[in-house]
Amino acid sequence: MRVLLVEDESELANNLRRALSEDGHAVDIAGDGESGESLARGGGYDVIVLDRMLPKRNGVHVVENLREAGVSTPVLFLSALGEEDHRIEGLNAGSNDYLVKPVSTRELLARVRALWNGRDREAPATRLSVGDMEMDLLARTITRGGKKIDLQPREFRLLEYLMRHAGEVVTRTMLLEKVWDYHFDPQTNVIDVHISRLRAKIDKEFSKPMLHTVRGSGYRLDA
Amino acid sequence: MPLALPKLASIKWARPAFLRPDFWRRLAQRTIMLRTVTFRLALVQIGLFAVFSLALLGFVYYATVVQTQAEADASVDQEFTELEKVYDKDGMNALNQEVFERASSAGPQLYILANKEGEIVAGDFGAFPQLPTGASQRVPFEYKTLGPDGKTEVNRARGRIGRVGNGPILLVARDMANSSVLVGRVTRAVYFGAGLGFILSLISGYFASRQAARRAEALSRTAQDVMRGDLTRRAPVVGANDEFDTLAQDLNAMLDRIERLMRSARTAGDAIAHDLRTPLTRLRSRLEAAIESTPNEEADREALRRALEETDSLLATFTAVLRLARVQSAAGWQFQRVDLSAIARDLVEFYEPVAEDGGVSLASDIEDGLFAPGEASLLTQALSNLIENAIKYTPAPGRVHVSAKRGERIVLSVADTGPGVPPEERERVIDRFVRLETARSTPGAGLGLSLVAAVAEVHRADLKLEDGLGGAAGPGLRVTLTLPVLAAKG
Repeated sequence: MRVLLVEDESELANNLRRALSEDGHAVDIAGDGESGESLARGGGYDVIVLDRMLPKRNGVHVVENLREAGVSTPVLFLSALGEEDHRIEGLNAGSNDYLVKPVSTRELLARVRALWNGRDREAPATRLSVGDMEMDLLARTITRGGKKIDLQPREFRLLEYLMRHAGEVVTRTMLLEKVWDYHFDPQTNVIDVHISRLRAKIDKEFSKPMLHTVRGSGYRLDA
Repeated sequence: MPLALPKLASIKWARPAFLRPDFWRRLAQRTIMLRTVTFRLALVQIGLFAVFSLALLGFVYYATVVQTQAEADASVDQEFTELEKVYDKDGMNALNQEVFERASSAGPQLYILANKEGEIVAGDFGAFPQLPTGASQRVPFEYKTLGPDGKTEVNRARGRIGRVGNGPILLVARDMANSSVLVGRVTRAVYFGAGLGFILSLISGYFASRQAARRAEALSRTAQDVMRGDLTRRAPVVGANDEFDTLAQDLNAMLDRIERLMRSARTAGDAIAHDLRTPLTRLRSRLEAAIESTPNEEADREALRRALEETDSLLATFTAVLRLARVQSAAGWQFQRVDLSAIARDLVEFYEPVAEDGGVSLASDIEDGLFAPGEASLLTQALSNLIENAIKYTPAPGRVHVSAKRGERIVLSVADTGPGVPPEERERVIDRFVRLETARSTPGAGLGLSLVAAVAEVHRADLKLEDGLGGAAGPGLRVTLTLPVLAAKG
């Protein structure tokens, strides 16, 4: 996919470009808010990664202008300002995700992919299915290979998120933010424990495991 | 070629005092009274006093002058009527006799009687002040007499003149000398009183305003001393329990808080230096060793991996420090209605699996509908820190109990069966960055309670550390947050 990267710090920009290219994306770089906005208006991008504090035009204004002009390309903020109010301000401006610098490359790659894929998948669905696993969002039931699986409400939401992003790497921070809506770093491996509980329920009695740990990154649900 | 002008500054001459810059400054300082609010109030007071005095003077004038004139007029009218009756009944001779008798008796009464043709036949004067035109009429007039010292005196009188029954002309009048004396005395007394009052109110205004100005100056001096850097200075509280005392107390409370913040900022600076510099040094020496050792791919990768880990933990500390600073700066938090029951329940559910994995049972007793004014993300993080700390410090097998209850206020508490905190350390443990020596081995623990303390302060909540549930490891720890209840929605 095509990614527009608006970042004024050239070394960081080049590192991110390399990482995104290696992940299979075509990357354009803009060094300030103005040129970033005009490139984005030109269209043709699948995801925009936008620094917040940019020369010439603030990233928040760039997003506001783009949304006003009807450009709906998903925007991922990459910012050094990481408090709750900053995050809310960024999301309110019209961005789709907010990452605080410094960020690990893997986290960024996972978020970019999730943003692009998420465009279609966040659409209201009543059923999700991955491999032999079926989720009925209305009846709130899950079956795998026709066998019913009982989950706690939070486990249900965790699995729903993983299913919506099946085949993609999902990081711990993404799960923390999207499933629990928590925006702090737990000092314990609490996410891993939740995952292993879920795994015990959905994988244990089946020959083919679906929920995989991606070392150093997070988790991935495969068909 | 430009004209060479003599440099003004080089001319030396003795400058008069009023040309020296500090002369005017000093004069301005000396006349500072004129600029103070209290002095202006004193001026208003004097102005009001003047208005009241004037009104009083007017009243006294009316009560004496106008009233005496009216009384004189009434008695003149009455006498005129009496004399008319004498004429009507007994004729000219009787009137003549009556006027003669009355004129010779002592008193302020004055008379003139003339016959039909206008020739004066009896009375005090040889001529009328004015002649009657038709009906009888009032006449204020002046007449001259020779005083005992031979000087001419001008006297004022008020009378009535007219023809009596188409016959003789009669003037009945009252000398006003006595009433003039009275009016003069009263007027003088009022003037004197007003003057005295004016001077007294000037003096009292001066002292009142000087007193107020002095106390305002004392407050201002305190502020200036603090600005110069002496944070230990406090404003004097006189004990008069007035606005100045309230202001001084508020100022002092503010200074206490600033001093506390400054001190904590200073210790925080040291703590940041320690918490960041130590791992940075370790990171640096590790990288240095990796570069200088003989290249070995496996060892190098391991060094890089560890350097990355170290960087992440540094960043976590850094983020925590920033967050703490931001919470403490307090500005910008918009308080909303926060559902503490939901927050507590979600967190217990969130941490329950990890506690169980560590051999600690996480139980809870959370009442429904606990709403407090606050910032949800901060309260979530504070409670999460408390639960996380409790789980971390409680050895297996152990218990952690989270409770949320409502009494007069909302009481959130997290209790554990861990080693606890000795009473003498409890104060210190809440201070920024202070970490119990025994806890040094657990990374990142130092900031947890500091953040809770900061969040508590922002929410005007009380934070208390007590003995917890007790167990094999020690007395345990109970951390209690007492928050205000959100007023019922109107």
